[in-house]
Amino acid sequence: MSHAEHHVSSIKLLAIIFGGLVFLTVTTVLTAQLDLGSFNVPLAMTIAIAKASLVVVIFMGLKWDNKVNSVIFGLGLLFVAVFISFTLFDTLYRGDLTNTTKGTIQDQVLMEEGLQSREPAPSTLQPDHTP
Amino acid sequence: MANPHSDHPAHLQHHFVSSEQQFDAAKMGMWLFLVTEILLFSGMFVAYIVYRTWHPEVFAKSAELLNPFLGGLNTIVLLASSFTVALGIHYAQKDNKKGLVINLVLTFLFALTFLVVKYFEYTAKFEHGVFPGAAFDPHGVSHGVDYATYNIPYARQFFSIYFVMTGIHGFHVLVGMGLFTWITIRALKGEFSSAYYTPVENCGLYWHLVDIIWIFLFPLLYLI
Amino acid sequence: MSESASGTINYLSHDKSIKSWLLTLDHKRIGIMYLIAVSLAFLAGGILALLVRIELMAPGETIMSADAYNQAFTLHAVLMIFTFIIPAVPAVMGNFVLPLQIGAKDVAFPRLNLASFYIYVLGALIALGALLVGRVDGGWTFYTPYSTSVGDGILFVTTGVFVMGFSSILTGLNFIVTVHKMRAPGLTWNRLPLFIWSIYATAIVQVLATPVIGITMLLLFLEKFLHIGIFDPALGGDPVLFQHFFWFYSHPAVYIMILPAFGIVSDLMGTFSRHQVSGYKFVALSSVAIAFLGFLVWGHHMFVSGQSATSSVVFSLITYLIGIPTGVKVINWVSTMYKGSVQLKTPMLYAIAFLFTFSIGGFTGIMLGVLAIDIHLHDTYFVVAHFHYVMMGGNVIAALGGLHYWWPKMTGKMFNEKLGKIAAGLVFFGFNLTFFPQFIMGAQGMPRRYYDYLPEFQGYHLLSTYGSWVLGAGLFLILGYLIASLVNGKKAGLNPWGALTLEWTHTTTPPHPHNFLETPIVTRGAYDFHLAKDLFASGEEVSEVVTSTTH
Repeated sequence: MSHAEHHVSSIKLLAIIFGGLVFLTVTTVLTAQLDLGSFNVPLAMTIAIAKASLVVVIFMGLKWDNKVNSVIFGLGLLFVAVFISFTLFDTLYRGDLTNTTKGTIQDQVLMEEGLQSREPAPSTLQPDHTP
Repeated sequence: MANPHSDHPAHLQHHFVSSEQQFDAAKMGMWLFLVTEILLFSGMFVAYIVYRTWHPEVFAKSAELLNPFLGGLNTIVLLASSFTVALGIHYAQKDNKKGLVINLVLTFLFALTFLVVKYFEYTAKFEHGVFPGAAFDPHGVSHGVDYATYNIPYARQFFSIYFVMTGIHGFHVLVGMGLFTWITIRALKGEFSSAYYTPVENCGLYWHLVDIIWIFLFPLLYLI
Repeated sequence: MSESASGTINYLSHDKSIKSWLLTLDHKRIGIMYLIAVSLAFLAGGILALLVRIELMAPGETIMSADAYNQAFTLHAVLMIFTFIIPAVPAVMGNFVLPLQIGAKDVAFPRLNLASFYIYVLGALIALGALLVGRVDGGWTFYTPYSTSVGDGILFVTTGVFVMGFSSILTGLNFIVTVHKMRAPGLTWNRLPLFIWSIYATAIVQVLATPVIGITMLLLFLEKFLHIGIFDPALGGDPVLFQHFFWFYSHPAVYIMILPAFGIVSDLMGTFSRHQVSGYKFVALSSVAIAFLGFLVWGHHMFVSGQSATSSVVFSLITYLIGIPTGVKVINWVSTMYKGSVQLKTPMLYAIAFLFTFSIGGFTGIMLGVLAIDIHLHDTYFVVAHFHYVMMGGNVIAALGGLHYWWPKMTGKMFNEKLGKIAAGLVFFGFNLTFFPQFIMGAQGMPRRYYDYLPEFQGYHLLSTYGSWVLGAGLFLILGYLIASLVNGKKAGLNPWGALTLEWTHTTTPPHPHNFLETPIVTRGAYDFHLAKDLFASGEEVSEVVTSTTH
């Protein structure tokens, strides 16, 4: 049997990676307490991606694994990216036509109610209305 | 039937040529399954990103109700479980049954710890009316936090996403605990060795993925 | 025609107990079980279609109330899409043929394969439960907020779709691993039958897209019962976001339906033209390209939904791109026939019918991808005609071709060729009579899903309904002679069509339970007829020669 070909990760390597992951977790909790303005989100995401990469490459052994598994994993990530980005093409630019509005239906209802409440209430039609 | 392969190891199914082919096939199947899991969660990430880009201030404010230290603790618990499961595979490859079993049990216990912490987080929310969906009605004061001030438009969306994401993730943790119970029993029976440890390997892969999902959920929901 | 004792063992005869069928791990038997289940689903969906067509013969109430009509067309769509057309070719012919064509003893995970069958049955039964509680009438797309505000039947349908999704994923996963890891020695990627290539591309789509319908159905479920406010506009949710979720799966799902059909047609074109399929590599890779591009176009279902113009433009542009790999296939099929010597057997008739109907379906798809035209045609019968030309004219006609092609291998019996040709004619004629008038009335403004309509559309509706009867007659004729062939059909030879793929050249008819007595070693491509002179000793009489010399 050719099982000897399977890569065996040493305990030392696994422990180092675990230490790194804990370090990154502490870092991300601490840096999140600081106000870095618009850098908070990219920093937290960068740390998360770094942690996930360590888990995938070392713990899950993709580094030593059959290349096809890396391709499969990459394909999965690619299509997640497609899902996110193509949906954002819509949601970030919603209402970019002049004849539609940006708000959701609820926003529009709220806006309409706001406009109506500013009008003098015709008390004969709406006896219960309290401005 | 046709050709009884008496010289073949017990774990080798008849339609495979070699153990190596069987191992590779099982592992490839597992990676494909992991990809389906990633795409399952991707829907929740899309919902999160869309609503966050629409209502960033609501998300920032609502996230204040989540406890980053409990979330961080749970992150470390899950990372530790990933570490022990990786150790378990290491011991399986070295034919060390005792090391394998100990690490599988440790992994199970870490998973349990995660769910216990999650239970306390959830009940703390439920006490103050922070529910997913129609029942969402934050009220009451605890630790100087007035929950009622968090009852703002679109806070419901944040907490719906929070509960659905962590709920699906928690369900995966539960499934993982079932899997580890199953392979611990098989390991105790001595079914695994350096020649055959495919189930350990695949449960490990599944568990690392559950960990990775949490690695992203934690900063998205608790920190930023 | 006497056979030796060892020759009589086949996957059908080696154990006839019911238990051996229900618990079988044999991909061939699972394929047959899928064939029966999927055919029942097709029958149920087909009867609903006939009822819908009868109702539409005249404006106003004809045979059913508006309420019943809404439920009938919704269930027709749900049954046809989720229980019939998505599993049809991959799970029936993929299961039966794929391991045989790649020279494997079975799929990589036989137990998962059986599980996926029972998960499918469970999901289909749950979806059918909607019949009992009633009131699923918003169409198969479940658009919010209608779907979350009306009726509880949606509970069953969404759960059923969720469960069937697992079945689809497991099948796809199994096939990808099988194609990668189980190919016979010598069977390189460039020698694979094109059916395998397209089942492989289909499987990629199944694995990558189906999980998203899972989460969509889950969120829809939670929206309805917990009111989580993600999709319901009354709660601050966004119904267009639901459409993104839904079509991220359901557009690629269109390719789950059509890609396997491409594979069957490619196989039929090569085999019955006795010629290497022109542009083999392009045909193979265009399947993968379609699978990939299929993920990038879902927004073309949403041009009038209020999504941003930016995304409409992006989705529209990429939609045109799909025409390229599809065109590559059509041109190569025609060229294969041109260069080869065409044998007009029943399966080939379906392949040729497919070329015609699918091309119409494809071209009208490009038309609908044009932003301005879509505004006019959106939600009209033009769309209905378009997707029936692709689903029925594409998938079902190709599936019928495949069924006739592999029927002798599955059952060991030949069907009546003359009846086969008549039925193929009826199906082709009936299909076009049913759906072509729908293009015209759609372009004139007849909206889809409507119960009532203006009197000026009645002529088209009548034609369409008469067509559905011809189509139905053709399908029942097929059912009749296929069943008759089991009883009194001529015994099928080893290679009645003179094909070169392994299921015809290296195993018995019907196949041995373990497929091959010894692992085949492949030395030529799937359509290298010029390298297979040994099989074609006396030209056109090949099938008879092969049959008679081997018995």
